Amino acid sequence: MMRESYEAIVIGAGHAGCEAALALARKAHKTLLLTISLDAVAFLACNPSIGGTAKGQLVSEIDALGGEMGIVADKAAIQIRMLNRGRGPAVQSLRAQEDKTLYHTEMKKVVESCPNLFLKQGEVENVRIEGSKKVVKTAVGDEFESDVVVFATGVYLDSRIIIGKYTESVGPNGFKNAKKLSKSLKELGYELLRFKTGTPARVNARSVNFKELEPQFGEEHIQTFSFMTKKKIKNKALCYLTYTNPTTHEIIKSNLDKAPAISGEIVGIGPRYCPSIETKIVRFADKDRHQLFLEPEALSTSEIYIQGFSTSMPTEIQRDMIHSVKGLENAEIMRDSYAIEYDCINPQQLKLSLESKLHEGLFFAGQINGTSGYEEAAAQGLIAGINAALKLENRPPLILSRGDGYIGVLIDDIVTKGTNEPYRMMTSRAEYRLSLRQDNADLRLTEKGKEVGLVDQKRYNTFLKKKELLKAAEQLLNQKLKIDEKTVNFFKKYEENPPKNSISIKEAIKRPKLDIFKINDEFKIFDNFPENVLAELNLIVKFEGYLKQQKEDIEKSKRAEKEIIPDNFPYEKQKGLKIETIQKLSQIKPENLSQASRISGVSPADIAVLSVLIKKFKGAKK
Amino acid sequence: MEKTITAISTPLGKGAISIVRLSGKDALKTALKFFTPLNKQKIEKRKMTLGNFDLDGAKEKCLLVYFQRPNSYTGEDLVEIHVHGGTTLTKLVQDAFCKAGARLAEPGEFTRRAFENGKISLDEAEAIIEEINSESEAELKTALTAAAGALNLKIKEQQDQITSLLAEIEVSMDYPEEDEFEVVRDKVFAELEVIKTELKRLIEISEQRRFVKNGVNVAIVGRTNVGKSSLLNALIGEDKAIVTAIEGTTRDVVEASIDINGVRFNFYDTAGIRESEDKVEKLGIEKSRKVLSNADLTLFVLDGTQTMTDGDKDIQALVKKPFITVVNKTDNPRKLEKQPNEIEVSAKNQNNIDELKRQMFNLTIGEEIDFNAASATNERQLEALKEAYQCIQNVFKNKHESLEILSLLIKKVWLVLGKITGETENEDIISVIFSKFCVGK
Repeated sequence: MMRESYEAIVIGAGHAGCEAALALARKAHKTLLLTISLDAVAFLACNPSIGGTAKGQLVSEIDALGGEMGIVADKAAIQIRMLNRGRGPAVQSLRAQEDKTLYHTEMKKVVESCPNLFLKQGEVENVRIEGSKKVVKTAVGDEFESDVVVFATGVYLDSRIIIGKYTESVGPNGFKNAKKLSKSLKELGYELLRFKTGTPARVNARSVNFKELEPQFGEEHIQTFSFMTKKKIKNKALCYLTYTNPTTHEIIKSNLDKAPAISGEIVGIGPRYCPSIETKIVRFADKDRHQLFLEPEALSTSEIYIQGFSTSMPTEIQRDMIHSVKGLENAEIMRDSYAIEYDCINPQQLKLSLESKLHEGLFFAGQINGTSGYEEAAAQGLIAGINAALKLENRPPLILSRGDGYIGVLIDDIVTKGTNEPYRMMTSRAEYRLSLRQDNADLRLTEKGKEVGLVDQKRYNTFLKKKELLKAAEQLLNQKLKIDEKTVNFFKKYEENPPKNSISIKEAIKRPKLDIFKINDEFKIFDNFPENVLAELNLIVKFEGYLKQQKEDIEKSKRAEKEIIPDNFPYEKQKGLKIETIQKLSQIKPENLSQASRISGVSPADIAVLSVLIKKFKGAKK
Repeated sequence: MEKTITAISTPLGKGAISIVRLSGKDALKTALKFFTPLNKQKIEKRKMTLGNFDLDGAKEKCLLVYFQRPNSYTGEDLVEIHVHGGTTLTKLVQDAFCKAGARLAEPGEFTRRAFENGKISLDEAEAIIEEINSESEAELKTALTAAAGALNLKIKEQQDQITSLLAEIEVSMDYPEEDEFEVVRDKVFAELEVIKTELKRLIEISEQRRFVKNGVNVAIVGRTNVGKSSLLNALIGEDKAIVTAIEGTTRDVVEASIDINGVRFNFYDTAGIRESEDKVEKLGIEKSRKVLSNADLTLFVLDGTQTMTDGDKDIQALVKKPFITVVNKTDNPRKLEKQPNEIEVSAKNQNNIDELKRQMFNLTIGEEIDFNAASATNERQLEALKEAYQCIQNVFKNKHESLEILSLLIKKVWLVLGKITGETENEDIISVIFSKFCVGK
């Protein structure tokens, strides 16, 4: 039997696994990346798109920290748009259609060419702990040992796909699944959950009557995911909008007994935010149509993804359903829609660093933690990878707080509150949304990325340059506009009352109908500054009051984060807390007072008491 | 140091002296916004300084003590203001500090800061926990009373309504590609208007309830010789003697209390009315202003046998709502012009005094007290209600802001209401989104 030794092993080469392995290897740790199929590396198993509300923010944050997703997504993008353009800046998010073949090959190339990183095909069957070493055993009997292991198994754990009465124990898209690793995790003491998700059918573009449908265009010359991408993305593909109709609904309703999700065949808990079409029809019976988007899968294929049409109905019913939709009357179905069930762990068994509370040196990231989405997975993969590396270096972990970014919100949410369905990131989950924008992810996180050693000099210089320019531009804000005819006319042009006395640029920007760009067009004050810097400054000025308030709230919360609760804090011996509270606290073992305060049922008074008890405990130990 | 906090440190309504404390980095600065030492005296650490406390123009004598960090109870800069006992005045001082930027302290917060700054030993820590606990136990008991329970329910309901509104706003932002989630602003504001009105009502009821608990403070004002003293005697009844305080210290001391339908009415600040009526009038405009600033209800007394004098008019100009114009001496022919909100009495003959009492009750407490109606049962809840009301007004003020800002401001209302219900983590918005709206791929 072969036995090899590495510093780190990452199990799974999906969106989480690739980020984790790249982070480890880039930090000079000899890393083995095991994947069940080399053809499934960074595979976009569901929709061919990256970004969207909150997810766009996640990608920017991954990028700011030195992750890979943003760069590859920019390379493989075939259409890009900014969602919520008509709304406020904090909820604007990039969304790109991706060429899924290109995405896979580009990411695979990066992984293959990364020094210290060894990509290998193999199904992991078992992980065991031997002293401080972890031993990973594959189905063919090879053994690999390392100091740290990152589990990024996606939806492959004991997975099963369901189409009508047909069920089979395979992974997504017919890939092989991991049949035995669940058992190994259970033996190690992990609580497993069973979740479900699904993906719609793909049809051949040549059989779709696009002429009947409303095209969805991309936007030209807009920003990219990565702060490092220099070229603007070219829109090379179109999406189309169509709808279900009463006929479609009738077909579904008369065949509900054949829908596994409804009949009880599927036991896994599915996400409420992307229900199958049959679930939508049942739960929202009053709606007479549902939106469907037709999205190209790649430039090199004719496959079209039908967003909004996920189902686990038998194939003949799927066919009737699809053919009832305008534009799809003659659609040739190339891949059937299916539901997939899989095992994941209860993420409350993890620390905020994504290291297991049960075993030192074991990290978990991605869908195995009960989340959903490529971006959510990649974000966790990056953090798990960074923290696994920091562990090897005997350095404290990188923990992002809720005020630092969406990544902080995501990890804190799942680790503190757990999840009873696949967790999806949403902007409404972020209480400091206004401060956590896509455009300022670099300002928020690049310094941290540099500190942990993942941000290279080129990225860091780009960041420093932006910061410098921002500071320089900020200094111009106090300049006054003279009240002369030109100024008066300018204000009148934008239906703002001309000021009586001279007015500073800053005050002018704050006027509702003005912004920095309009002012610059007229007065040429910021001509030497790039657009992204001005956009940033514009926001900072416009939302000054709100941002200041939010900053105070974030600082308050960070103070509580500094009140660390020792691992061995004996909750059960404490007086002054309700038994129920003690039970909750000892189950979740929050790492600090801020995290403790977010556990449901723990009141502000409990936190006050806990604060005192902890100080007392720490004092007594000294 | 942390943000400056304030609280009344002595039990409300009991004792002759009350202490309001400030702790934090701006403690002294905040206090000096209102406090002026007598004779330009310098404020020395840990020494009492006599001075005037400025309450919207009215000067109130008080003592100030300044403890510089770390030599204070909390280990932070700490200021104590000692005022003459009495709920209203003490509250006014505390309110003034809050308006000047201090935050009302959380339960046990002074003690917590003291511990955190190493001012209290480990042994004492145990005691603190007991203290905080007994406080929450006491609160739990109150929470069981009908009013508190009803308040909790009512506020929970409002929180749910807000959650539902927020879900509507959030879904439109989180699912911009779905075509039907446009937020109808008018609808949002119509619903907020309902909540705002309810909050206002709750505040009113709570204030009424506070009267029931602490009594209604009544000021009797009027020029010399109109019969204030005899009116007070008539209200108190012949059997009861006037409770007098030591001369010269009558500020904010309850001179007398009577019971009307189970509610205590306190006559405050009656300095001057015991003076024999032929003495020179000392109660000038300045004095009246001070008296009035503390009053929940004012009885403005006039002599019915005379026409209005300039002195009457000067005082009348100061009288704020709610008030009753008491036309006295109606045992003799009336010469006085018709007055707003007047009632004719004869203090001498005890004539119409019961009617006066009935009106005093109606004007402050109202016709009926429904003891089961939702209302705040402590200052903190009332404070939270008022803060929530302010927050909701703020939403209306920023009506035209973008949705994400509106959402931020509405969430703030929800969060402040959570101080009453204990619900401070809103996980429901997302649940509501999923149950109400059909979203997703």
